[in-house]
Amino acid sequence: MLGARGQRPRARLTMHWKTRSRLTSWLLGAVTIGFLLFQWLPMFTMFLLSFAGENGGTTFPMNGVSLHWYRKLWDADLFDDFKPPMLRSFLLALGCSATTVVLSVSAAQAMRGRFLGSGAYFYLLLLGLMAPGILVGFGFAILTRLLGIEGAWNTTAYVVHVSWALPFGFMTMLAVFNRFDPRLEEAALTLGANRITAFRRITWPIILPGVIGTALFGFSLSYDEYARTLFTAGSDGTLPLAIMAQLDRQLTPELYAIGTVTTVMSLVAIFLCTFAFWLRSRALRGRPTP
Amino acid sequence: MSSIRPRSAAAYWLAIPAGLWMLAAVVLPTLLILWVSLWGGQSVSPHNPITFDNYTRFLSNANYRWLILETLGQTAMIMGITGVLGYCIAYFLTVKVTSPAWRTALFLAFVIPFWTSTLIRAIAFVPFLGVNGLLNQALLALGLIERPIQAFLYSRLGVSMAQVSLYTLLASGPVVYMLNSIPPALREAAMTLKATPFTVFRRIILPLTLPGIVIGQVLVFLNVLADFITVTTVGGNKLAFLGNLILLFYEGSQIRATAVVSVLLMAVMLAGVAVALRIVDIRKVGG
Repeated sequence: MLGARGQRPRARLTMHWKTRSRLTSWLLGAVTIGFLLFQWLPMFTMFLLSFAGENGGTTFPMNGVSLHWYRKLWDADLFDDFKPPMLRSFLLALGCSATTVVLSVSAAQAMRGRFLGSGAYFYLLLLGLMAPGILVGFGFAILTRLLGIEGAWNTTAYVVHVSWALPFGFMTMLAVFNRFDPRLEEAALTLGANRITAFRRITWPIILPGVIGTALFGFSLSYDEYARTLFTAGSDGTLPLAIMAQLDRQLTPELYAIGTVTTVMSLVAIFLCTFAFWLRSRALRGRPTP
Repeated sequence: MSSIRPRSAAAYWLAIPAGLWMLAAVVLPTLLILWVSLWGGQSVSPHNPITFDNYTRFLSNANYRWLILETLGQTAMIMGITGVLGYCIAYFLTVKVTSPAWRTALFLAFVIPFWTSTLIRAIAFVPFLGVNGLLNQALLALGLIERPIQAFLYSRLGVSMAQVSLYTLLASGPVVYMLNSIPPALREAAMTLKATPFTVFRRIILPLTLPGIVIGQVLVFLNVLADFITVTTVGGNKLAFLGNLILLFYEGSQIRATAVVSVLLMAVMLAGVAVALRIVDIRKVGG
């Protein structure tokens, strides 16, 4: 059947299918490289312009090379000081990350217990992934207004941020538990461990890489979140809010500098995690049995 | 047997915190928006009568109706572009690149920007697309254009370029996942039966990756519909879609109008997701 259908195009086209396959490879490769350039060049432009001289504008040509805009970032005045928002963002992201880990692990562990209504529960958690930030933020702002609660970065914004990171953490932990071998726990239980000891001594060390991934999700999703924070943060904003406010006033190379700083920080975090995973997988491979 | 007993009380207790959190932070606020959008009367208070006046007032404005259509058009366009582009990249990375080192390197180059701030990435498009921007400089240097193109920045073209750059990974990721889960034996079997690569692609690869395509399209659909950050940073103030309208009404303290636009946006999203769920069963994909 397949063969019979396969004969037709080959008979019609003079080019051998291997040549065509190679041509497709080149074409797809060109598309991929082109897209990667398109994805990286704007960021590269921003990095480059953040090192512009004192009179440097926000676009080319670059007037001189200096660390002026980084220095300005460091000793900024009260009006455009990015340090307090940055600290707030960092603390909020840490809190969000820790909460996400606890809630995701317990929710995914609960799903393994296949409780009544776990199907609906799955969709409830998935909803946070589908609901856009602008709607969740606006709705939560109405809720707090009706309840008479004043919004703040470390209360209302925190609750909304966790609801954004939780579905990602939950899905990550579900995937981890899907690949998990329950016989390892069975062995521990057979040997007389109770369920809590089995979880702590056997399950937890095995799922740890997934937990670290969940923590990363929790941190970076909260750190970069704009829409949800905009509606719920109150008067003291986070870093994305401060950046947007500055962009509204004026686009300066200072924004490029702060963009470069946060991007480099993200890249370093990704690099460290990849490196840690690589070390771990190498260490595990060294053992006699996986 | 595992560290949790099926249908045990412990399972319920473990499920409750996350469930309550999502109910309070996502479900309840969404229902509140629906309620507020029906508030009548002059003042903003829960004691107002329930009416559909807010909807009729909003939909009777031709500008707003046009805005809804424009938002849908933009979303459909970005879905099309990121869908094709994302599939090409996913296919190249998983099938065509044979060296594991190259595959990892290219894949990281593709994924890493996703872990950085979307806002920063959108802002980075300003010096890239501007009159003296890198893109214009490059095109001038290559001799493809004679003078800088103004229309890149603060235009729909610029916004679309930024959105394609930001969202292609969403369209591509699920396809990569589905492509990786196809056993190589399937392709080999078809090749042994003398199918050409194109036939293998059309009759085996494409149907098996369809769930990935649909999920990717849903992700792009939801993100572009609600995107207002790219539109304000790269589009300047010249451009608005439904997301920007929500923000505009909210900043003008028009809570009921904000709620109306939010509900309309939500309805469009639910309709889109419902269509997608008819095509594929999302729960089957994970298992």
